[in-house]
Amino acid sequence: MRRRASLVLLALAVFCTALSPLLRWYAFPRLAKVPAGHYQAVVLEAKDATLIDYATLEPRRVPKVTMVQTVKGNVEQARRVKAATGRDVVVWDTLTHAAGPDGAMVSRIPERYVFDAHSQQPVHAGGEHVDDTPVRRDGIEFKWPFLVEKRDYRYFGMMTRTSAPIHYKGTRTFRGLDVYYFEQTIPWTEVPLPRQLPLGITPDTVRQLGLERWYTTRRMFWVDPVTGAPVNGEEIHREEMRWTGHPEKKPITAFAGHVKIRPDYVAHTVATVKGQRQLVLLLTRHLPLGLLALGLALLAAALVLEARDRRAPATEVAHDGGKPERPTPGEGALSRGGSP
Amino acid sequence: MRALAAAAAGLAAALALVLAVTALGPPGGETSPEPLLSSPPAHP
Repeated sequence: MRRRASLVLLALAVFCTALSPLLRWYAFPRLAKVPAGHYQAVVLEAKDATLIDYATLEPRRVPKVTMVQTVKGNVEQARRVKAATGRDVVVWDTLTHAAGPDGAMVSRIPERYVFDAHSQQPVHAGGEHVDDTPVRRDGIEFKWPFLVEKRDYRYFGMMTRTSAPIHYKGTRTFRGLDVYYFEQTIPWTEVPLPRQLPLGITPDTVRQLGLERWYTTRRMFWVDPVTGAPVNGEEIHREEMRWTGHPEKKPITAFAGHVKIRPDYVAHTVATVKGQRQLVLLLTRHLPLGLLALGLALLAAALVLEARDRRAPATEVAHDGGKPERPTPGEGALSRGGSP
Repeated sequence: MRALAAAAAGLAAALALVLAVTALGPPGGETSPEPLLSSPPAHP
């Protein structure tokens, strides 16, 4: 009986010990994925900003510019890309809509971002674009991969439509979470004009006026290292309209402001991330370590039972001085196959 | 020999469980009916 129990314990010990690395290194990359149907809206604000008035081509101070950034997972397109590439991908259709203090549209830039559901690496399929212009991303956008490393990443910028390093600048505490702080500075760069501008103005109209759009920004992200989700983001963002071929002419400030996520959205994001990080930690830390400890404990118990099982007959032998049990005459006759 | 068989059974069970769970995978979900927004919602 004891022998059977030790064998069961041994099987359970091997089960738990084997499950520990299998969960961490086999199951986790296959199970931890950004949901294909994810939908999220974030509101950002730049208070006391400067904004161009396209009617007069003069910059003016405004109390607030609001940006609404919506991310919508396109499940049907993700299935099509998976059928074509064999990879589990997420297709995000996004819209960044900027509005002035009166709610009137300032710019409106749609994007499509196709990426690997686990690693967040871009997948070049399914019509990725920025403002309906095809792009080929490298690096990440919007979100970091699961289990963020303390290193620089390449981050794709919607304005420049190129990727550049975003630097890891240390660990910070943000609303009770230990987060990694990343920063990227884009120097003054000429960038395309959005296709949709106020007053029915088109990029061609602006070009005909002899103007081109330049941009610089300092981009900051506070990223949860477990889920890779930014819990806060800010940008010190400046845009100018410069006169083509006339560097001596004074540029017109198109936008200048410190863009921050609205506080209620920060609180909502932190609460969401705090819940999601427990699921990731369960697969990467709690279950593997717990199972390993349980496996070792079960193995120890199996070995103890086995040792006791082996010691028991020897102990019985030792109690009578090691002499073999003398058989009764009847037993001896039976064992030898004799008749009474 | 019986110990080896017990260990093999434990290993096989662990492999079977992980393969079954990963084969099922995470749920696919559906595209949200919510629109891409052009005005800020009052709250998240």
